[in-house]
Amino acid sequence: MSVHAVHKICRQVLRDHDFRGRMQSDPAAAIADYDLTPEERHALLAGDVVTLHHMGVNDFMMGYLARFGSCGLSVPTFNEKIRSVPHCSGKT
Amino acid sequence: MAKIVAAYGLPHTPFFPSRVVQEGPQSPTGLLFAKACNSLVAAKPDVILIFDTDHYNTFFFDNFPILAIGIDEKFSGPIDEPRGGMPVYSVPSMPKLAEYLHNHTVRAGYDVASLREFGCDHSVMVPLYFVNPGMRVPVIPFFISGHVPPLPSARRCFAFGWEIRKALEAYPENLRIVIIGTGSFSLEVFGPRIDPGKTDGVPDPEWVHELCRYLEAGDTDSLISAATETRMHAAGNVGGELLNWIAMLAFTDNRKPDFLIKQMENGHAYAGWRWS
Repeated sequence: MSVHAVHKICRQVLRDHDFRGRMQSDPAAAIADYDLTPEERHALLAGDVVTLHHMGVNDFMMGYLARFGSCGLSVPTFNEKIRSVPHCSGKT
Repeated sequence: MAKIVAAYGLPHTPFFPSRVVQEGPQSPTGLLFAKACNSLVAAKPDVILIFDTDHYNTFFFDNFPILAIGIDEKFSGPIDEPRGGMPVYSVPSMPKLAEYLHNHTVRAGYDVASLREFGCDHSVMVPLYFVNPGMRVPVIPFFISGHVPPLPSARRCFAFGWEIRKALEAYPENLRIVIIGTGSFSLEVFGPRIDPGKTDGVPDPEWVHELCRYLEAGDTDSLISAATETRMHAAGNVGGELLNWIAMLAFTDNRKPDFLIKQMENGHAYAGWRWS
Protein backbone atom coordinates (compact mmCIF):
# COMPACT_ATOMS: atom_id res chain seq x y z
CA MET A 1 0.00 0.00 0.00
CA SER A 2 2.92 2.37 0.07
CA VAL A 3 2.21 3.72 -3.40
CA HIS A 4 -0.53 5.33 -1.37
CA ALA A 5 2.17 7.01 0.75
CA VAL A 6 3.70 8.49 -2.41
CA HIS A 7 0.29 9.86 -3.35
CA LYS A 8 -0.03 11.37 0.13
CA ILE A 9 3.36 13.06 -0.27
CA CYS A 10 2.27 14.54 -3.61
CA ARG A 11 -0.93 15.86 -2.06
CA GLN A 12 0.95 17.28 0.91
CA VAL A 13 3.19 19.22 -1.52
CA LEU A 14 0.03 20.85 -2.89
CA ARG A 15 -1.67 21.52 0.42
CA ASP A 16 1.04 22.25 3.00
CA HIS A 17 3.28 25.13 1.98
CA ASP A 18 5.78 24.40 4.76
CA PHE A 19 6.10 20.79 3.56
CA ARG A 20 6.38 22.10 0.00
CA GLY A 21 9.35 24.21 1.03
CA ARG A 22 11.03 21.27 2.75
CA MET A 23 10.47 19.08 -0.33
CA GLN A 24 12.42 21.72 -2.25
CA SER A 25 15.26 22.24 0.25
CA ASP A 26 15.67 18.87 2.01
CA PRO A 27 13.37 16.21 0.57
CA ALA A 28 15.10 13.30 2.36
CA ALA A 29 14.25 14.83 5.73
CA ALA A 30 10.76 15.85 4.58
CA ILE A 31 9.76 12.26 3.69
CA ALA A 32 11.71 10.53 6.49
CA ASP A 33 8.57 9.60 8.43
CA TYR A 34 6.56 8.32 5.48
CA ASP A 35 6.00 4.57 5.16
CA LEU A 36 7.85 3.95 1.89
CA THR A 37 9.77 0.95 0.57
CA PRO A 38 13.50 1.62 0.04
CA GLU A 39 12.87 1.49 -3.73
CA GLU A 40 10.11 4.09 -3.52
CA ARG A 41 12.17 6.35 -1.29
CA HIS A 42 15.15 6.11 -3.63
CA ALA A 43 13.07 6.76 -6.75
CA LEU A 44 11.30 9.69 -5.13
CA LEU A 45 14.51 11.37 -3.95
CA ALA A 46 16.10 10.80 -7.37
CA GLY A 47 13.09 12.43 -9.03
CA ASP A 48 12.77 9.16 -10.96
CA VAL A 49 9.18 9.56 -12.09
CA VAL A 50 9.57 6.81 -14.68
CA THR A 51 10.24 4.19 -11.99
CA LEU A 52 7.43 5.61 -9.86
CA HIS A 53 5.10 5.48 -12.87
CA HIS A 54 5.93 1.77 -13.35
CA MET A 55 5.30 1.17 -9.64
CA GLY A 56 1.77 2.42 -10.19
CA VAL A 57 2.02 5.99 -8.91
CA ASN A 58 -0.58 8.28 -10.46
CA ASP A 59 0.94 10.62 -13.08
CA PHE A 60 -1.43 13.48 -12.30
CA MET A 61 -0.41 13.40 -8.64
CA MET A 62 3.30 13.36 -9.56
CA GLY A 63 2.68 16.52 -11.54
CA TYR A 64 2.61 18.42 -8.24
CA LEU A 65 6.24 17.40 -7.61
CA ALA A 66 7.19 18.95 -10.96
CA ARG A 67 4.99 22.01 -10.55
CA PHE A 68 6.37 22.81 -7.10
CA GLY A 69 10.04 21.93 -7.75
CA SER A 70 10.23 18.92 -5.41
CA CYS A 71 13.00 16.29 -5.43
CA GLY A 72 14.99 18.22 -8.02
CA LEU A 73 12.16 18.11 -10.55
CA SER A 74 10.83 20.92 -12.72
CA VAL A 75 8.17 20.90 -15.41
CA PRO A 76 10.80 20.59 -18.21
CA THR A 77 12.73 17.74 -16.51
CA PHE A 78 9.49 15.96 -15.58
CA ASN A 79 8.29 16.34 -19.16
CA GLU A 80 11.43 14.82 -20.60
CA LYS A 81 11.39 11.88 -18.18
CA ILE A 82 7.70 10.93 -18.35
CA ARG A 83 7.68 11.16 -22.13
CA SER A 84 10.37 8.45 -22.24
CA VAL A 85 7.82 5.90 -20.96
CA PRO A 86 6.82 3.73 -23.93
CA HIS A 87 3.16 4.18 -24.88
CA CYS A 88 0.85 3.69 -27.78
CA SER A 89 -0.29 7.05 -29.03
CA GLY A 90 -4.01 7.60 -29.10
CA LYS A 91 -6.47 5.14 -30.57
CA THR A 92 -6.00 1.47 -29.75
CA MET B 1 -43.01 21.74 -10.75
CA ALA B 2 -39.31 21.87 -11.35
CA LYS B 3 -38.42 22.47 -14.97
CA ILE B 4 -35.14 21.70 -16.69
CA VAL B 5 -34.48 24.56 -19.08
CA ALA B 6 -30.96 24.19 -20.51
CA ALA B 7 -27.83 22.02 -20.52
CA TYR B 8 -24.18 22.78 -21.21
CA GLY B 9 -20.97 20.87 -21.80
CA LEU B 10 -17.92 22.87 -20.75
CA PRO B 11 -14.18 22.45 -20.15
CA HIS B 12 -12.43 23.22 -16.87
CA THR B 13 -8.80 23.84 -17.86
CA PRO B 14 -7.21 25.20 -14.65
CA PHE B 15 -5.33 28.12 -16.23
CA PHE B 16 -8.25 29.48 -18.26
CA PRO B 17 -9.35 32.08 -15.66
CA SER B 18 -5.88 33.60 -15.49
CA ARG B 19 -5.45 33.33 -19.26
CA VAL B 20 -8.65 35.28 -19.90
CA VAL B 21 -7.60 37.90 -17.32
CA GLN B 22 -4.32 38.29 -19.23
CA GLU B 23 -5.61 38.06 -22.79
CA GLY B 24 -8.93 39.82 -22.27
CA PRO B 25 -12.60 38.94 -22.77
CA GLN B 26 -12.19 39.12 -26.56
CA SER B 27 -9.63 36.28 -26.54
CA PRO B 28 -10.81 32.97 -28.07
CA THR B 29 -11.37 31.32 -24.67
CA GLY B 30 -13.03 34.46 -23.28
CA LEU B 31 -15.46 34.53 -26.19
CA LEU B 32 -16.29 30.81 -25.93
CA PHE B 33 -17.15 31.04 -22.25
CA ALA B 34 -19.05 34.31 -22.84
CA LYS B 35 -21.24 32.47 -25.35
CA ALA B 36 -22.06 29.80 -22.77
CA CYS B 37 -22.53 32.38 -20.02
CA ASN B 38 -24.93 34.52 -22.06
CA SER B 39 -27.06 31.50 -22.88
CA LEU B 40 -27.06 30.23 -19.29
CA VAL B 41 -27.93 33.60 -17.77
CA ALA B 42 -30.78 34.00 -20.30
CA ALA B 43 -32.14 30.64 -19.12
CA LYS B 44 -32.72 32.29 -15.69
CA PRO B 45 -31.87 29.25 -13.55
CA ASP B 46 -32.83 28.98 -9.89
CA VAL B 47 -30.27 26.21 -9.44
CA ILE B 48 -27.42 24.66 -11.44
CA LEU B 49 -26.58 20.93 -11.28
CA ILE B 50 -23.04 20.13 -12.36
CA PHE B 51 -21.59 16.69 -13.19
CA ASP B 52 -17.86 16.66 -12.49
CA THR B 53 -14.85 14.39 -12.01
CA ASP B 54 -12.95 15.47 -8.91
CA HIS B 55 -9.14 15.56 -9.35
CA TYR B 56 -8.17 13.91 -6.00
CA ASN B 57 -9.08 16.94 -3.93
CA THR B 58 -12.67 16.58 -2.73
CA PHE B 59 -11.92 12.85 -2.55
CA PHE B 60 -8.64 10.96 -2.34
CA PHE B 61 -7.39 7.40 -2.76
CA ASP B 62 -8.35 6.63 0.84
CA ASN B 63 -12.02 7.19 0.05
CA PHE B 64 -13.00 7.15 -3.58
CA PRO B 65 -16.69 6.95 -4.49
CA ILE B 66 -17.80 6.14 -8.03
CA LEU B 67 -20.85 8.43 -7.70
CA ALA B 68 -21.40 11.17 -5.11
CA ILE B 69 -23.45 14.28 -4.39
CA GLY B 70 -22.58 17.34 -2.30
CA ILE B 71 -25.30 18.24 0.22
CA ASP B 72 -24.81 21.50 2.11
CA GLU B 73 -25.85 25.15 2.35
CA LYS B 74 -22.66 26.10 0.48
CA PHE B 75 -19.25 24.86 -0.66
CA SER B 76 -15.94 26.56 -1.33
CA GLY B 77 -13.27 26.40 -4.00
CA PRO B 78 -11.01 26.05 -5.77
CA ILE B 79 -9.09 24.06 -3.16
CA ASP B 80 -6.17 23.09 -5.43
CA GLU B 81 -4.32 26.32 -6.36
CA PRO B 82 -5.09 26.19 -10.11
CA ARG B 83 -2.13 27.26 -12.24
CA GLY B 84 -2.14 30.99 -12.86
CA GLY B 85 -4.44 31.55 -9.90
CA MET B 86 -8.10 32.44 -9.54
CA PRO B 87 -10.22 33.82 -6.68
CA VAL B 88 -11.59 31.47 -4.04
CA TYR B 89 -15.38 31.53 -3.76
CA SER B 90 -18.10 30.34 -1.46
CA VAL B 91 -20.85 28.97 -3.68
CA PRO B 92 -24.42 28.73 -2.36
CA SER B 93 -26.16 25.37 -2.75
CA MET B 94 -29.62 23.92 -2.18
CA PRO B 95 -29.38 21.18 0.46
CA LYS B 96 -33.08 20.34 0.55
CA LEU B 97 -33.12 19.56 -3.18
CA ALA B 98 -29.75 17.76 -2.95
CA GLU B 99 -31.07 15.61 -0.11
CA TYR B 100 -34.16 14.79 -2.17
CA LEU B 101 -32.02 13.79 -5.16
CA HIS B 102 -29.78 11.67 -2.95
CA ASN B 103 -32.76 9.80 -1.49
CA HIS B 104 -34.34 9.29 -4.89
CA THR B 105 -31.21 8.03 -6.67
CA VAL B 106 -30.18 5.63 -3.89
CA ARG B 107 -33.69 4.18 -3.72
CA ALA B 108 -33.62 3.80 -7.49
CA GLY B 109 -30.52 1.59 -7.21
CA TYR B 110 -27.60 4.03 -7.51
CA ASP B 111 -25.10 3.79 -4.65
CA VAL B 112 -24.41 7.51 -4.34
CA ALA B 113 -22.08 8.73 -1.59
CA SER B 114 -23.07 11.98 0.10
CA LEU B 115 -20.72 14.60 1.47
CA ARG B 116 -21.05 17.65 3.66
CA GLU B 117 -18.62 20.45 4.60
CA PHE B 118 -16.75 19.99 1.36
CA GLY B 119 -14.65 22.00 -1.06
CA CYS B 120 -14.30 21.59 -4.81
CA ASP B 121 -11.27 21.90 -7.05
CA HIS B 122 -10.81 23.71 -10.36
CA SER B 123 -12.88 21.10 -12.19
CA VAL B 124 -16.05 22.55 -10.62
CA MET B 125 -14.89 26.11 -10.03
CA VAL B 126 -13.46 27.01 -13.46
CA PRO B 127 -16.71 26.50 -15.40
CA LEU B 128 -18.69 28.20 -12.62
CA TYR B 129 -16.26 31.13 -12.62
CA PHE B 130 -17.13 31.76 -16.26
CA VAL B 131 -20.86 30.96 -16.40
CA ASN B 132 -22.19 31.78 -12.92
CA PRO B 133 -21.24 35.45 -12.50
CA GLY B 134 -20.79 36.40 -8.86
CA MET B 135 -21.69 32.80 -7.91
CA ARG B 136 -25.25 34.08 -7.47
CA VAL B 137 -27.07 30.92 -8.61
CA PRO B 138 -27.00 27.99 -6.14
CA VAL B 139 -25.11 24.93 -7.40
CA ILE B 140 -25.46 21.22 -6.55
CA PRO B 141 -22.39 19.18 -7.55
CA PHE B 142 -22.54 15.53 -8.61
CA PHE B 143 -19.25 13.64 -8.81
CA ILE B 144 -18.53 10.81 -11.26
CA SER B 145 -15.25 8.89 -11.00
CA GLY B 146 -13.70 9.45 -14.43
CA HIS B 147 -9.93 9.16 -13.96
CA VAL B 148 -8.95 5.99 -12.08
CA PRO B 149 -10.03 2.56 -13.34
CA PRO B 150 -12.46 0.94 -12.85
CA LEU B 151 -14.75 3.61 -14.32
CA PRO B 152 -18.53 3.39 -14.26
CA SER B 153 -19.88 2.56 -17.70
CA ALA B 154 -21.10 5.24 -20.08
CA ARG B 155 -24.55 3.68 -20.09
CA ARG B 156 -24.67 3.68 -16.29
CA CYS B 157 -23.76 7.38 -16.20
CA PHE B 158 -26.44 8.20 -18.75
CA ALA B 159 -28.99 6.22 -16.70
CA PHE B 160 -27.84 8.06 -13.56
CA GLY B 161 -28.51 11.37 -15.30
CA TRP B 162 -31.89 10.05 -16.43
CA GLU B 163 -32.82 9.05 -12.86
CA ILE B 164 -31.92 12.53 -11.60
CA ARG B 165 -34.02 14.01 -14.37
CA LYS B 166 -37.05 11.89 -13.39
CA ALA B 167 -36.65 12.99 -9.77
CA LEU B 168 -36.39 16.66 -10.75
CA GLU B 169 -39.46 16.49 -12.96
CA ALA B 170 -41.42 15.14 -9.98
CA TYR B 171 -40.09 17.78 -7.57
CA PRO B 172 -43.01 19.90 -6.35
CA GLU B 173 -41.25 23.29 -6.17
CA ASN B 174 -41.39 25.68 -9.06
CA LEU B 175 -37.71 25.80 -10.00
CA ARG B 176 -35.84 26.45 -13.24
CA ILE B 177 -32.89 24.08 -13.48
CA VAL B 178 -29.74 24.15 -15.64
CA ILE B 179 -27.45 21.13 -16.10
CA ILE B 180 -23.68 21.29 -16.72
CA GLY B 181 -21.35 18.41 -17.58
CA THR B 182 -17.67 19.32 -17.51
CA GLY B 183 -14.57 17.62 -18.90
CA SER B 184 -12.22 16.93 -21.77
CA PHE B 185 -12.61 14.40 -24.58
CA SER B 186 -8.94 13.75 -25.37
CA LEU B 187 -6.41 14.96 -22.83
CA GLU B 188 -3.33 13.58 -21.11
CA VAL B 189 -2.16 15.48 -18.00
CA PHE B 190 1.38 14.85 -16.70
CA GLY B 191 1.38 11.36 -18.30
CA PRO B 192 3.66 9.84 -20.97
CA ARG B 193 1.61 11.28 -23.84
CA ILE B 194 2.04 14.96 -22.98
CA ASP B 195 3.55 17.25 -25.63
CA PRO B 196 7.24 18.25 -25.49
CA GLY B 197 7.74 21.08 -23.03
CA LYS B 198 4.13 21.05 -21.81
CA THR B 199 2.16 19.61 -18.89
CA ASP B 200 -0.53 18.14 -21.14
CA GLY B 201 -1.24 16.84 -24.60
CA VAL B 202 -4.10 15.78 -26.87
CA PRO B 203 -3.27 12.19 -27.85
CA ASP B 204 -6.35 11.54 -29.95
CA PRO B 205 -7.80 14.47 -31.92
CA GLU B 206 -9.84 12.09 -34.10
CA TRP B 207 -11.82 11.04 -31.00
CA VAL B 208 -12.77 14.68 -30.39
CA HIS B 209 -14.04 14.94 -33.97
CA GLU B 210 -15.94 11.65 -33.65
CA LEU B 211 -17.65 12.71 -30.41
CA CYS B 212 -18.57 16.09 -31.87
CA ARG B 213 -20.13 14.39 -34.89
CA TYR B 214 -22.43 12.45 -32.50
CA LEU B 215 -23.21 15.59 -30.49
CA GLU B 216 -23.90 17.63 -33.62
CA ALA B 217 -26.33 14.96 -34.84
CA GLY B 218 -28.02 14.52 -31.46
CA ASP B 219 -26.95 10.85 -31.64
CA THR B 220 -26.47 10.16 -27.93
CA ASP B 221 -26.85 6.41 -28.31
CA SER B 222 -23.93 6.07 -30.75
CA LEU B 223 -21.83 8.30 -28.50
CA ILE B 224 -22.55 6.09 -25.49
CA SER B 225 -21.82 2.89 -27.46
CA ALA B 226 -18.46 4.28 -28.60
CA ALA B 227 -17.44 5.46 -25.12
CA THR B 228 -15.97 2.26 -23.68
CA GLU B 229 -13.51 2.52 -20.80
CA THR B 230 -10.67 1.37 -23.08
CA ARG B 231 -11.59 3.93 -25.71
CA MET B 232 -11.81 6.81 -23.24
CA HIS B 233 -8.44 5.97 -21.65
CA ALA B 234 -6.88 5.65 -25.11
CA ALA B 235 -7.84 9.30 -25.60
CA GLY B 236 -5.82 10.37 -22.57
CA ASN B 237 -5.49 9.77 -18.84
CA VAL B 238 -8.42 12.13 -18.14
CA GLY B 239 -10.47 10.90 -21.14
CA GLY B 240 -13.08 9.47 -18.74
CA GLU B 241 -14.28 13.00 -18.02
CA LEU B 242 -16.55 12.40 -21.03
CA LEU B 243 -18.81 10.56 -18.55
CA ASN B 244 -19.89 13.95 -17.13
CA TRP B 245 -21.07 15.03 -20.57
CA ILE B 246 -22.89 11.70 -20.96
CA ALA B 247 -24.81 12.19 -17.68
CA MET B 248 -25.69 15.71 -18.88
CA LEU B 249 -26.94 14.34 -22.22
CA ALA B 250 -29.73 12.51 -20.35
CA PHE B 251 -31.43 15.93 -20.17
CA THR B 252 -31.17 16.96 -23.84
CA ASP B 253 -33.56 14.47 -25.53
CA ASN B 254 -31.20 14.03 -28.50
CA ARG B 255 -31.68 17.65 -29.49
CA LYS B 256 -29.05 19.17 -31.73
CA PRO B 257 -27.01 21.70 -29.76
CA ASP B 258 -27.57 25.46 -30.15
CA PHE B 259 -23.80 25.72 -30.33
CA LEU B 260 -20.94 23.23 -30.35
CA ILE B 261 -17.42 24.59 -30.72
CA LYS B 262 -14.24 22.55 -30.48
CA GLN B 263 -11.02 23.84 -28.99
CA MET B 264 -8.68 21.31 -30.55
CA GLU B 265 -5.47 22.47 -28.87
CA ASN B 266 -7.05 21.37 -25.56
CA GLY B 267 -8.99 18.33 -26.82
CA HIS B 268 -12.36 19.60 -25.61
CA ALA B 269 -15.47 21.50 -26.69
CA TYR B 270 -18.15 23.96 -25.55
CA ALA B 271 -21.79 23.08 -26.19
CA GLY B 272 -25.17 24.45 -25.18
CA TRP B 273 -28.81 23.39 -25.45
CA ARG B 274 -31.55 25.75 -24.33
CA TRP B 275 -35.19 24.89 -24.89
CA SER B 276 -37.17 26.94 -22.41
